[in-house]
Amino acid sequence: MQGSLIKQICIITLLTWSSHVGAADKCEQESNECTAIGKWNVGMAIGVGARSNPLLEGKSIPLVLVPTISYYGKHFFLNNLDFGWTLHDSASSSISFIASPGYDRVFFYRYDLQNFFVINQVVNNGSTATTTGQAFVSTDPNPDIQIGAQYIIRRYPDRSRDITYLAGPEWTFQIGKVSGQVDLLHEVTGKHDGNEIRAALKFPLISSLQSLSCSVGITWKSAAVVNYYYGDEAIYQGDSSLSPFIKVSYSRPLGTKWKLLAFIHYEQLGSSIANSPIVAMDHVNSGFVGALYAF
Amino acid sequence: MRFRICDLAFGLMSLLCIQFDSARAEPLSEAITMQLNPTVCALSVSDKLCKTTVHVQWRATQDESLCMIIVKRPDIKQCWEHYTEGTYNVDLTFDQDVIFQLRDLELQNTLASATLRVIREALQYRHRRRDPWSLFG
Repeated sequence: MQGSLIKQICIITLLTWSSHVGAADKCEQESNECTAIGKWNVGMAIGVGARSNPLLEGKSIPLVLVPTISYYGKHFFLNNLDFGWTLHDSASSSISFIASPGYDRVFFYRYDLQNFFVINQVVNNGSTATTTGQAFVSTDPNPDIQIGAQYIIRRYPDRSRDITYLAGPEWTFQIGKVSGQVDLLHEVTGKHDGNEIRAALKFPLISSLQSLSCSVGITWKSAAVVNYYYGDEAIYQGDSSLSPFIKVSYSRPLGTKWKLLAFIHYEQLGSSIANSPIVAMDHVNSGFVGALYAF
Repeated sequence: MRFRICDLAFGLMSLLCIQFDSARAEPLSEAITMQLNPTVCALSVSDKLCKTTVHVQWRATQDESLCMIIVKRPDIKQCWEHYTEGTYNVDLTFDQDVIFQLRDLELQNTLASATLRVIREALQYRHRRRDPWSLFG
């Protein structure tokens, strides 16, 4: 229901969007597109929100206090938990080499940093950092583990999902008012050696004092990534997955320090993730309404 | 040729001296001088305001009756009557050049002037990362 509403909004946007105003060629002042080199930007959002957890018995993750931090050097940048080195930067496109944390861990660990630094990323399940993936699955009858006529309920997969980082090239671009992003990432922390592609387009609906935009994108995960989080050698092995998403976001300044923020986000999980025995939902919903204070 | 080189060197030295003096103080009367400490406030990219205690010192060759004021700060005024020198400390918060002046008691004539300058680190800008993939991007 929520997803179809967002889709309709985006389709209307795509049909009616016709203005093409080029971005400023050179950054000369602080704006939505430009920021000062060497300056730290720190903020805290306070509001009401949550992200659903698709794991079996997974609890939704509340979004109440959401910190944000960024820093831009001439080439280096830090954007919450992402960081990178920009090789080429212009009004129409930028090429960087970035590193970004593996995203799916948020569903297994309530206190994963990505459940706090949501502004630019987000989520969990109620479990602690030491006991994760506590889903139970009823397996087919197996002579070795069958007792009488009862199925054995196996604890699956009770293992840790470590913090991982993926790194690789990122291309971002601006065509008229539409901005885009493509990341080609490979896991570099030695946990699963998987690959990920993240890509998205953002269409502004209103871009005056207040800003309303619609984004569509995909996340492709290789089988290694899928199985590190959702697989088990004895029970389930998934293929690569493609998860599309759609998002509508709104922001409006409230004075010089405060900004009103809101978004709704719907992600359709790829079938190889949704078919995992520890996944109960084939989608993830997120939403937040709050105010961001810039220090 | 040697004469011309000397002339050129003297000219450059004179120019440098004039610029140095103008940065520290601008005596309008040879009889009265005023010095500030510090004379410059340097703001980094992350700083918005200078906040410092400024030490003002003036000297005269004979007894003077005068007042020290800060331009555009009518709340700050310190006067002396029949003194040959004086000092004054003031806590200031500012983001632009601050001009100190010594004037007669009627505040009509300026006897000496000095400027506390604000130097800003030149700001450079670059494009923010476009990240529509992220939740708030």
